[in-house]
This record gives sequence, structure tokens and C-alpha cells, in this order.
Amino acid sequence: MTLDPALLARLGPLQVRARKVMEGVLTGLHKSPHHGQSVEFSEHKEYAPGDEIRHIDWRAFAKLDKYYVKRFEMETNLRALLVVDASGSMAYGRGAMTKLQYAAVCAGALAYLLSRQGDQVGLCISGDPAPDSTERLPQGVREFVPFASSPAHVQEVLRRLEGASGRGPTLLPAALDFAAEKAGRRALVIVLSDLFDATERSIPALKMLRSRRHDVLLLQIHDREELDFPFDDPTRFLSMEDDRQIEAQPRQIRESYLLEMRNFLEGSRRELARADVEVQQIATDAAPDRVLLELLARREAA
Amino acid sequence: MFQFAHPGYLWGLLAVALPILVHLFNQRRPRPLAFGAIEFVLRSQRQKARRLRLRQILLLALRCLLIAAVALALSRPSLKPKGVLTAQASGPQATALVLDASLSMRYRIGSKTLFERAREEALAALDRLGPDEPASVGLCAGAAGFVSGGLPAPSFDRLAVRRLLQSAQPTYLGSDLTSCMTAAAKALGESPVPGKRIIAFTDLAAHGIRLDAPPPLVPPPAGAPPGTPGLKPNIVLVDAAQGSQLPNSAVIATAVRPTASLGARGYEVVATIANQSAHSASGLQVSLKIGPNVLAKGFVDVPAHGTAKKTLGAVLPAGVVTGRVELAREEAQGLDEDDGQDFVVHVPRDVKALIVDGSPSSLRTRDEAFFVEAALAPARTGGRIVSQTLDADAAANLTIDSVDVVLLLNVPAPPKGFAEKLRNAVVHRGMGLFIALGDHVDPDSYNDALGDLLPRPLHLLKTAAEPGAQDSEDHAARFGVVEWTHPLFRVFGPAEREGLESARTFRYALLKPDPASPAHTLAFYDDGAPALIENRLGAGRVLLYTSSASRTWTDWPIRVSFLPVLQQAVSYLASALEERSPAPAAVGAERAVQAPQGLLVAQVIGPDGKPVALRREKQDEADATAGPLQLPGLYRPQVGPPKGTPHEDLSLAFVALADPKEGDLRRVDEAELKAQLGGAGSAQVAASSEAAQGSHGTPLWSGLLLLGALALLGEGALTRR
Repeated sequence: MTLDPALLARLGPLQVRARKVMEGVLTGLHKSPHHGQSVEFSEHKEYAPGDEIRHIDWRAFAKLDKYYVKRFEMETNLRALLVVDASGSMAYGRGAMTKLQYAAVCAGALAYLLSRQGDQVGLCISGDPAPDSTERLPQGVREFVPFASSPAHVQEVLRRLEGASGRGPTLLPAALDFAAEKAGRRALVIVLSDLFDATERSIPALKMLRSRRHDVLLLQIHDREELDFPFDDPTRFLSMEDDRQIEAQPRQIRESYLLEMRNFLEGSRRELARADVEVQQIATDAAPDRVLLELLARREAA
Repeated sequence: MFQFAHPGYLWGLLAVALPILVHLFNQRRPRPLAFGAIEFVLRSQRQKARRLRLRQILLLALRCLLIAAVALALSRPSLKPKGVLTAQASGPQATALVLDASLSMRYRIGSKTLFERAREEALAALDRLGPDEPASVGLCAGAAGFVSGGLPAPSFDRLAVRRLLQSAQPTYLGSDLTSCMTAAAKALGESPVPGKRIIAFTDLAAHGIRLDAPPPLVPPPAGAPPGTPGLKPNIVLVDAAQGSQLPNSAVIATAVRPTASLGARGYEVVATIANQSAHSASGLQVSLKIGPNVLAKGFVDVPAHGTAKKTLGAVLPAGVVTGRVELAREEAQGLDEDDGQDFVVHVPRDVKALIVDGSPSSLRTRDEAFFVEAALAPARTGGRIVSQTLDADAAANLTIDSVDVVLLLNVPAPPKGFAEKLRNAVVHRGMGLFIALGDHVDPDSYNDALGDLLPRPLHLLKTAAEPGAQDSEDHAARFGVVEWTHPLFRVFGPAEREGLESARTFRYALLKPDPASPAHTLAFYDDGAPALIENRLGAGRVLLYTSSASRTWTDWPIRVSFLPVLQQAVSYLASALEERSPAPAAVGAERAVQAPQGLLVAQVIGPDGKPVALRREKQDEADATAGPLQLPGLYRPQVGPPKGTPHEDLSLAFVALADPKEGDLRRVDEAELKAQLGGAGSAQVAASSEAAQGSHGTPLWSGLLLLGALALLGEGALTRR
């Protein structure tokens, strides 16, 4: 099953959308030939529907007449922090979803998946703070949800994601600094951003995060229009993060724009790969479950 | 100053507004768009902004240029020379197409002659005429101007004009383009259409154009008040040679004359070769053809714009000989028609003479025939005359069938049989008879024996002075009246007549008066007595010399004048005179042909084997005038009795030569020509009529189209980037 973003966008609240995506991923995982089994056995857990049947410990069943599934070190100890960039540029998207909405769907689905397997999930939304915010948060962090794994916690994460709106400059580097601090010991940090950063400090911040031995995964989300630049008419382009603007003939600068964009994508991917940061570049017209499935499959194979 | 053939198309220039509108549309107020990846837009735009603006402007300019160039080209602009009168007719024009059909138009460049090119141009010009433009066409050749005598008034019968053009052929005549254009201007006056135009298609050779003539003027309309000046027509001279130089070499003259160095019937042919080009020609091959055979060949170097003579020698057969001097051609282009010239030469035939010696002597100088034999010796006649000397008795028994001339020198009255034989030969065979007197001659018995063989009967002998006596020189008779134009005496120039007049005659025969006699006296003594008298008898002639052919009665034989007269007399009597070859006729002229006695000129066959038009002064006249002769080459008259079948008489053959001026294709000075035709305002010279017709100036549309194409290419290159 593949979830078309246009279809997904009509599905209403983020909870429904994220759950749908998660279900899609699960179905995909069951079909997948890849079964990672690399981590150490840690404990038994009573079987619940949705657990892998192949993880049922048949010896324990023989002894105790109850289904137990094996828990592994990785799974038990995983702390995952979702860092969502909610800068102005993330609000772009004239298709089914904005980049931020897309990021929220992906983040929500991941939150579901992670909490399902008992992992602790935290959320950090990067951006300038809401004017009515009463929380005391450092610079660059608009919202923060600490690590937890309960279903209620997931609902809180989803609620915050749904409430996020893209505005203001990119403050991702500051948010990443904050995330590094909050994640504490070794954790999985999943960053969802377009990486459009006028200060160009996001990549060093990602590398720094990685250097603190966190497992860093970047979902670099772009709108199809940003990748293809399909405009024809003369246009005054307005910045979504500051007051810069420019008039241009898109047809005449398309070639040059595409070159710049390609250089940016390749450059950031290459640079982050060198620092062992995994990068998944996603366009918002791709099915989110398909994207996540590929991502998980790749991680399991690794 | 610009002018346009189709000014309506200039409205197309308004289309220039289109690219400007497109440009403005592109420059309109842009739509705002909040865009995430503005960083990259900014970076791209910074690089491109300046180049883009330049390209925009360049594109706009190229598109405007493209449209403007096409619109302008469609309107067929041309650059009008300065000072053009605005009085020039615009709108429909009565058009006279004058096609130069002179010999020089046969000049070949590649596979086409100038005439063929000119004819194509003329047909194209005819097609381009508007439906309201009447046209007339004339072939300009010959002294009369147009071939057909004149140019008809312009008419709307386009088909007839076209047919005339399509069937037009070049002539071998010269042309007078100036008078043709004057005649054309006159013909244009008969058309009511106000515009008048002459388009002449010519090689612009200087020989056909008179620069000192008044310019052609269209006469004022019939209703105009007296004193109205004529109108200058628009004149377009279309250069069939398209400005190229036309080098040519030609045989312009041929002279044929006997030469003693080649023996009997040896002739030298002197050909004058002209080289009408800017480079000297070396090693031109000249050949002499008699009939189909090449008898001699030679090479000649001719300087640029100069002439050279080449002499070729040959021994010709007796009779009327027709031949040709030819240049061998190697170049691909040129005028072939003047590379050779025909000639006719009358080569005298050999004469067999029988000398009947009436008073032979063992002492050579005393012999009656001594001086005659000496005069007819092969060394002196070039072997043309073969003589045999016999005494009277031997001669009387000889068959004289093969003898052309018999000379009776102081022969006693011949016996009846011999006289009859002589008479038959003279009357029927055309033999010649020369009679000289002496001491053996008795007038009465001579009259009896020879009868009508004598031009007039002998009367008695007169002794003017005794030879050797004192004062005999003073009393002796001299030649008085002499018919100098007669073939016998033709050889004497005024300075040489003294040689004849100084001869002294001591004794001679007087003749009986006979008013009815047809005999013709060629020379008289100073006392009025005939000295040489001729009579035609049947087919032959008899010549009587009333004194002796030896020194017994006269000292003429020792005078220098005796020898040529005797030689001429023998040739004359044998009808083998070294006749002067007929002078060549000119192509385009007429030629009078005189029929031999009793015969009628039936027809004259031209070089192409077809009879030439003949004209007679009177209905039943024997002579005729042939012509005008259209072709260069040999013409062969045929003569015959009034009601019999005619036969060719080569002795009347003559050659017609083309005007050597036609071989000189040097171009007329264009500036002078325009000035002569009424100034650059009304006359122009063009390589094709298309360039000139309808417009009068340098055409610009092809350049504009090229400009438009370049703009299109540039526009394409810019937009593809």
C-alpha cells in the first residue's frame, strides 16, 4: 500500500495521517525480506498483537505456556529525538502539503513506530518562540517534549506537531545544540528540515551532533517546485524568512537555479555522509510510508 | 535617395510593434511568490541579471530588424542616383524592347550566345510588364536600323510580341543602336500611354553606338502646340555581357595575289588577323583551305588590340578557286563567325599557243617569230603559256584541235583548207587568232583567203618612212589613240604608257573602211589608221596587228611595251586573262551580277545553299542585283539562256564579308553613353532588366533579405541559449 500525499492530506487530523503512514510502514516491513538481527538479547516481554511472531520465544512458551517475545538491547535502550525545523521556508508548498506538514506526518509516523516498540520519543520543534508562549525555552527551540514512550506521550507529540506553523528564520543550529544537550547519552536524533539556512551553520551543527556519538538521521524535505523550478512568468520572489525579495524571469534563470540547487543537494549530502550522518532527501510528492519504509529497510540492512 | 517599387508593403513596418509588445509583456509587473529556496534564486539572478538585460535588448532589436528588413525588402526599394528628375514616369509605361541582333551578339560565353541571353532577358522583361503597359519589339541590325525596317507602335497584343521575340535570330549584320533607339522613341510617340520607356538588350559594343548623335526623343503628341519639345524616354540598356570583357580574334581582311616565287599559278594569301583583347595572342593557328583541303598552315602572334598579317602560299588549280582562311579556335568563348573569311580567286588557265612563222631564218634574230617566242617564253609567263613554232606548210597540215591561240606571223595567204580549219576553230571552239603582217602578205590574196576571219579587209600597205633612212624616226608612225582600259593595255599605268607611245612604225597596212563591221579598234596610229583591231567571231576572237611582229616594219618588238601587250593578247584571245578577282561584297549590301552575253542570271545561291532574293531593273533584263546579302560566305550565281536550264557560273561567284567592326567588342564608355542618352536621370545601364525595370537605381532588396536572414539566425541562437 502506498499513501499518496494528496490522499493523505485529506485524511484529517495528524493522528489519523500518522497512524496511516505507520500502518503502511508496518505492512511493508512484514513483506520485506530484510530482517536485521544484529543486537543483543536483553529481556522477555509478553506478546502483544503487532509484535513480530518470529520473535516469540518458543522455549519460554514450552516452559511457561505463555507467549513471550525476545527484547533486544537496541530496542530497549533506544531514545529517539525528533527535531523538526519550523522555519518560514518549511511553510512552502503549494501542493497537497507544505514541507512542514509533510515533516509532521513523517515525524508523527516515526513517533508511533518508535513508541510501539517501546522506545522513548522526544520532540524538539525548532523556530522562534510563539509570542504567547509561557514556556522558558532556549533560543531556537519553539517547543520541546521530553523523552517518554507511553501512548499518551505520543498523542502529545502529535498534538504539538499539528500545532506547529512555519515562520521566522531558520534557527536549526541552536535547536540542534539544545537537542545534543537533552539527548544526553547516545541517542537517535532524527532531523526533519529543508536545511535552507542563510547562515549555513546547520551542517556544522549536524556534524557536531554526530561527533557527540549520537546516531544522526537527516530527512531533508523539499517541495517539488523547489527542485524543478517550473515557473514561467516573471515573478517577484519573496523570502519566507526575512524581507529579501527579487524580481526574476524564471525561464532565464532556471538553468542556473537548477545548477545551484543540485550543487547544494549534492554538497550537503556529500559533506554529511563524510561525517557519517545519514541523509534521506525527500520531495513532498513522494509517498511518506514508502519513504520511511525505504529508510527503515536501509537502516536494518546496515 | 530611396524609392520603392511596391510602397504598399511599407505598411508591414508597423509589424515592428509586435516584438516591442512582446518585450513589454515580458517586462510587465511580476507576480509575487513567497518561495522557500530564494537563496538559490538570488544567487542565479545575481549572475545573470546583467547579461539578461543585454540579451533582452538584443533580442528585441533583432526581432524588430527581422520584421523591418522583410517589410522593406517586399517593398523592393532601390537607391536612386542623385539628381533624378521627378518628372520620370511612374505608373504604366509604353515600352519598346530593342533587341540588338548584330553579328557581335553571336558572341558565345559558355553554352549561350549573348543574343540568347538578351532574348531571355527580353522575354522576362515582357513578362514583368504590367497589364496596362503596351509593348513593341524590334530587332536592331543592319544599316536601316531595325531588321523589319521600323518599329511598330506599342500594342497590347502581348502574344504577337512574345512570338516575335521567341522566333528572333541574330543576323550577320552590323547594328546602329543609336538610330534604333531614335526610331523606338518615335514609335513610342504613337502610344497614348504617358510613360515612355525603351529597354535595349545589347552587348554595349562601342561600334554599334554613336556617342555624338542627339539623344532619342519621343515626339510631342499630335495635338501639342508647335514648338513643344520632345520627351526624354526612360532608357534601360541591359548588358547581355553583364559587364564582362569580350576578347576576340578575327580574320578582318584577306588578299590573294600571284607570286612568282611559287612558280606557275603560285599564289600567296595574306590574312590580316585582329586581336581585340587586352592580352597579346601568340601562336594563333591560321590555315588556308581550298575546298575541303587544308593547303597551308601557319602561326601568328598578334599584339593586344592590334593586327598582324600572315602570308600563306599555295599553288592553286586553274579556273575559279574558292577558298577560306581560318583561325583555329581553342577558347570556349568568343565570336566564331568572324574567325574565317572566304575568298574567290580567278586563276588563269594554261594556254597552248601555235606560232606560225611565215619567214623563218637560220639566224635567230632575223627569224620572224624571234620576238614573239621570246615574249611567250615560259620564263617570262611563269609557264602559263606553252608555245610551239612551225612554218606555214607544217602548220597547215597540223591538227589544231588542242590549240588555244594561233599566231600568224607574216604568213603568206594560207591555203583554203587551213583557213577553213582556222575559221571553224575560232567560231565553234572559241580559239583565238592573232594576225601580224609583213613582207609576205599580199592584201588581196589575204582578203580572199581569210575572208571574215579578218576584222576588216586589208586595203594597201603604207610606208611612212624607210627603216634605217635618215630622219626615218621623225616620219615614222606612232601609236596615237589607245584604249587603255582594254585588257591588252590595262597593265600600263600612266607612267608606263611612254613605253608604248615611243614605238615607231615604218610600214603598215591600211584597212578598207567598213561601217557595218562589228570590229573594234583598240589602238590607232597617229594618222588615224588602225593599229590593233579586234573582232568577235562566233565563240572566238581575232586580233589583227596591221604591222609586223618583227623589226622589219616597226621597232615596237624591241620596246619594253611589246612583251606585256603580246602576253596579254595571247591570254585575252584564249579567254585566259589573269582576271582581277571579284571584290568582296559586304553582308547587308546588294551585289550586281552581270550576265555573260546572251545569258540570263537565273538565281544566286547563298552560302546556306538557298537562293538569294534577286532584283532586276527591268522585267527582261539579263543582269540582276542580288541581296541584301544576309550571310557571310560564298555566293554562286547561276546563269542560263532565257528559256533554258540555268547552270552555275563560278566565274561570277563572289564572297560577302561581315563588317570587321563587329569583331571588336570593346565596350562603350558607360558614363558617356548615359550622357548621350539624356543623362543618368533617364538612362541607365543594367546587368539585367529585372534590376532596372520598374525602378531606376541600385536594388537593395536582396541585401535586406540577407539582413533579415541574419537577424533570424541571431534571434534563434539567442533564444536557444
